[in-house]
Amino acid sequence: MSRRLLVVALGVLTAIGGFVDAGDLVTNAVVGSRFGLSLVWVVAVGVVGICVFAHMSGKVAAVSGRATFEIIRERLGPTAAGLNLLASLAVTVLTLVAEVGGIALALQLASSVDHRLWVPVAALALWLVLWRVKFSVMENAAGLLGLALVGFAVAVFLLGPDWAELGAQVAQRSAATETGATYWYFAVALFGAAMTPYEVFFFSSGGVEEGWGTKDLATSRLNVLVGFPLGGLLSVAIAASAAVVLLPAGIAVDSMAQLTLPVAQAGGTLLVAVVIVGLVAATSGAAIETTLSTGYTLAQYLGWSWGKFRRPAEAPRFHLAMIVALVVAVGVLMTNVDPIAVTEYSVVFSAVALPLTYVPILVVANDPEYMGEHVNGRVMNFLGTVYLVILVVAAVAAIPLMIVTEAGG
Amino acid sequence: MSVRRAEKARSAVPEPPQPGRVLDARLHLLDRQVLDVDGVPVCTLDDLELDDVAAEPATRAAGGGTAVGDGPVVIRALLSGPVLGTRMFGGRPPGSRWHRLPWRDVTDIGTAVRLGVPGARLDVTWLERWARNHVVGRIPGGRARPGKG
Repeated sequence: MSRRLLVVALGVLTAIGGFVDAGDLVTNAVVGSRFGLSLVWVVAVGVVGICVFAHMSGKVAAVSGRATFEIIRERLGPTAAGLNLLASLAVTVLTLVAEVGGIALALQLASSVDHRLWVPVAALALWLVLWRVKFSVMENAAGLLGLALVGFAVAVFLLGPDWAELGAQVAQRSAATETGATYWYFAVALFGAAMTPYEVFFFSSGGVEEGWGTKDLATSRLNVLVGFPLGGLLSVAIAASAAVVLLPAGIAVDSMAQLTLPVAQAGGTLLVAVVIVGLVAATSGAAIETTLSTGYTLAQYLGWSWGKFRRPAEAPRFHLAMIVALVVAVGVLMTNVDPIAVTEYSVVFSAVALPLTYVPILVVANDPEYMGEHVNGRVMNFLGTVYLVILVVAAVAAIPLMIVTEAGG
Repeated sequence: MSVRRAEKARSAVPEPPQPGRVLDARLHLLDRQVLDVDGVPVCTLDDLELDDVAAEPATRAAGGGTAVGDGPVVIRALLSGPVLGTRMFGGRPPGSRWHRLPWRDVTDIGTAVRLGVPGARLDVTWLERWARNHVVGRIPGGRARPGKG
């Protein structure tokens, strides 16, 4: 039984990194406190989109044994793939910076010790996990503890909101106090967060780490169908708790501490404690995901040996890349930059990387030399194509919207 | 680059039916992952070294382009190394800087190019060995399997 439960840990951890990493935790609360639930449809659109492409990348990894960035290099050639590598690394490392900062902030919530003191401790702990802990143990621990974020959903029920009014917010297309451009800026940010490229890098590489073969296609599908909707639900729960408490009070969220206000009001200290466990686990999980993704993308682009299933000495450059990423993250945080603000700018890099990541996956998922009899069916190709159009629109719109709204100002 | 140029020149003439498997150099070889006999990644195939069938096995790079005329060519070696930069920006690195993997070592071409030799012996993995012997192998636990002892 436990084996069956734990088999979806990869999907859950991947989704946590995508939907409830440090930047998204705050973005979700900001969106909830400013727009109510009027942007929930974006999360739904994003969940379906990441399901489609994570499913394809998992299928390619299971059938051909090739992880996503190997395919990107092989189909796009060195120049376009190199551009994607730079953009993806920028998103991934910026997110990692935010995660390490997020862990430190969450620990500050729990301990009242300044977060800058926690930064090196958090980074060292992350490195030890990546250096010594088995992949399966790592994903199970981070994935399952991250589920403590369900506390936000519990808080929404405990608050006993006016469900009819919440329902009406879902149907709304904008908030009275906000401009249209700001609304669409947050729509693009939420969509970009749902579809961040490192999720498919991590998911497909994780499939290779777990030794998936053709017989594991059902496992891959289960991971996708459980993990990502769960991630989406958690992010909606955070937005809902903010919409119930912070929106009527007119409180604008700008830090992680304010995230827990609705939870404290609903469930007191005990529920806050549960949620803080979830916050630490989710940010740690996202940090593990982004650090590994840095190693995966570099190693797969340059053809290095990679993987947690190997001894570090058997994949030395992969481990060195991860160490460098962590050192960079600590260095950036020591400049006293606001870790949460950092993720806002990663949206710009994300925009460049999104189409360059998802086009090769769609192409290879249709290549019989890779996929044999498991090539995409018509429904998957239809959905994949529709999402590529949405991705390109979001990618083009992201930068102008960011400038016009001064990053959601 | 001239792999592409040569292909372009030849594409005007329809390919005659041939026995065996037809490989498109750009589609099936370039930028594929190269694995050693144990399935360990060695490098990515950055470029090919081509030669005229009749010519001496003197080394002329695919990147150079002068050696390859319209006649049939054979692949002498798979190239890796600073060739990547010249494929992006043009030009040609000095021959001494290439890492050459002789074509005779290739055993299979599928979703990856497989070699029949262990990667640890190849020149191309020198940086990997350096990183292992001087950095990663020296950190405690670097040579242990994750999750054990």
